[in-house]
Amino acid sequence: MTSSSALPVMIEARGVEKWYPNGFQALRGVDLTVHQGEVVVIMGPSGSGKSTFIRTFNALEDFQKGSIVVDGRPLSNDIRNIDAIRREVGMVFQQFNLFPHLTVLENLTLAPTLVRQRPKREVEQQALDLLERVGIHEQARKYPGQLSGGQQQRVAIARSLCMEPRIMLFDEPTSALDPEMVQEVLAVMQELARDGMTMVVVTHEVRFARQVASRVVLMADGQVVEEAPPEQFFTNPQHERSRQFLSQIA
Amino acid sequence: MTFPSATSTRPTPLRSLGRTLKSELFSTPLDGVITLVLLGFLLAVGTAFVRWMLFQAQWAVIQTNTTLFAVGRYPIEQQWRLWLLTALIAIASGLSWGLLRGKGTWPRNDQVAAGILIALAVFGTWALKLELPIQVRWWGLTGLLLVVRAAAGRWGQALAPTLLRLVPLIWPVLYLVGMVLISGGLGLMRVPPGEWGGLLLTLLEASFAILLCFPLGILLALGRRSELPLLRWGSVLYIEFIRGAPLITLLFLGQNILGFLLPGGLAPDRVWRAAWVLTFFAAAYVAEAVRSGLVALPPGQLEAARSLGLPMHQALIHVVLPQALRVALPATVGQFITLLQDTTLLSLIGLLDLLGTARAVMANPEFLGKNAEVYLVLAVLFWCCCAALGLGSRALETRLNPLSTSKA
Repeated sequence: MTSSSALPVMIEARGVEKWYPNGFQALRGVDLTVHQGEVVVIMGPSGSGKSTFIRTFNALEDFQKGSIVVDGRPLSNDIRNIDAIRREVGMVFQQFNLFPHLTVLENLTLAPTLVRQRPKREVEQQALDLLERVGIHEQARKYPGQLSGGQQQRVAIARSLCMEPRIMLFDEPTSALDPEMVQEVLAVMQELARDGMTMVVVTHEVRFARQVASRVVLMADGQVVEEAPPEQFFTNPQHERSRQFLSQIA
Repeated sequence: MTFPSATSTRPTPLRSLGRTLKSELFSTPLDGVITLVLLGFLLAVGTAFVRWMLFQAQWAVIQTNTTLFAVGRYPIEQQWRLWLLTALIAIASGLSWGLLRGKGTWPRNDQVAAGILIALAVFGTWALKLELPIQVRWWGLTGLLLVVRAAAGRWGQALAPTLLRLVPLIWPVLYLVGMVLISGGLGLMRVPPGEWGGLLLTLLEASFAILLCFPLGILLALGRRSELPLLRWGSVLYIEFIRGAPLITLLFLGQNILGFLLPGGLAPDRVWRAAWVLTFFAAAYVAEAVRSGLVALPPGQLEAARSLGLPMHQALIHVVLPQALRVALPATVGQFITLLQDTTLLSLIGLLDLLGTARAVMANPEFLGKNAEVYLVLAVLFWCCCAALGLGSRALETRLNPLSTSKA
């Protein structure tokens, strides 16, 4: 932690509170600071608000109290500001959410050509390079429905990377995958972390958290319970709630 | 239902057909009796119908009025414009057909379609007892369509891909050209809408309403799902009001109210008033069809598009609508078919569409009591138009399915 705190802050969340329209409070004053190049893994039981929390970072969820600053831009209701943040923040979903009516290659090139207005040929070359990096460039002309779950999720990661984001958010990226496909996705994420990408990852993969995370955050009932380096978190958790959670997933 | 096991020898088509008939129609003695009674009934009705068609029916009521049924009282000396338009449509159809297929081959379906067209041109014009020069014109038009289709299939793929993508644009351009040819202007003599009639008027009203109600319906469907309350409630109010009123009342209302609302010269002609009412009416139903497509789309699609930085309008155009409209396509085309049939209501507000023309012809003392002949021909004509729409929609559906090539 001390080594990274000299680096610029990429995400700064302070006292974030969120109520759903039905009155349920999903977030009860959450704080989190993510520095450049850090990999923060958020764990916690389902319903703890961890997905809701990272979805506030690119305004897929709104919040009622507190403040979030992403890459120097405060999250506000200004739609132009939100679009600007979304351009710099990539997001990978549990359900992949690839566009089924477009080929793999078109999935990657759609946003860069439309939003960044880059020449098509250049973007296509970059997209093919990215697909090669995640190991599926031979599938570029296929449609997402023709790919396995693990391949689809790797395409989804490549699609986000094609926008050249400064931050990547992962919302349970391996939860919808068959067990034998989890590793191929984690390997891509691990390599991304090694290349210095700033990442916030909601996951239950303990091994990934141990090997890759700079910090592990445990959330429960809309609050941060514990925040610690992975070794300390997994071997010597400070809070009762953390011990309880770890005993359940082990 | 039983499935033959993989090891059993495959029955010949004829034997398997016989077996299916036996198992479905004669499985028990009672089944057999019911089948035989129904067959006898069908046979009796069928022979009576054929006998009527061949020996009793007097088709002169159709044969002497073909022009009236086709174009109404469109001035004879200006009808060359409609022939020209038909020729242009034949060329455009041939082009689209050939380029859609590519490769220059004639698959089985295309052969059947070409056969039907030729049979229609030869047998249809003969049965209608058209004058020989007119018969020859129809042969020529059919030949033109098929020749263009062959040429486009043979050499079309050599065109640049960007040029190929412009081909669908032929149709809107042709529509505008057609409007000028029909109504006049730009140096052509004006033919006021009051003189359009028959199939020409029916197709014109239907195509106008179909073309405009589609984008309007999409906007209404998006409005209904908008987060802006004013837009949402406005759309809901409009859709529910229109869907709550019978078309015929709206048509009468349109004829009366547009005259009050707009100062004399600006109020559109009666034909156009009806066209607008049809458009606004169909838009409400199309909106509901499109909404079903929007609801069927997983919310993650919009989230993914937005999280990639696409602004709302681009996310809608490139991600949401292409998928939602594909889901909504069958229901939407169903609306179009209903709309085409609803144009018959125009006869009740005094327009001479197909049905209006038919009623005028049947009121002529010369053809008194020939209602059955006229209504039968009308039914067949409408069936042909609706079948064409349905076929087109199914072809479009397979084309829009990204996995159709691998599944087929």
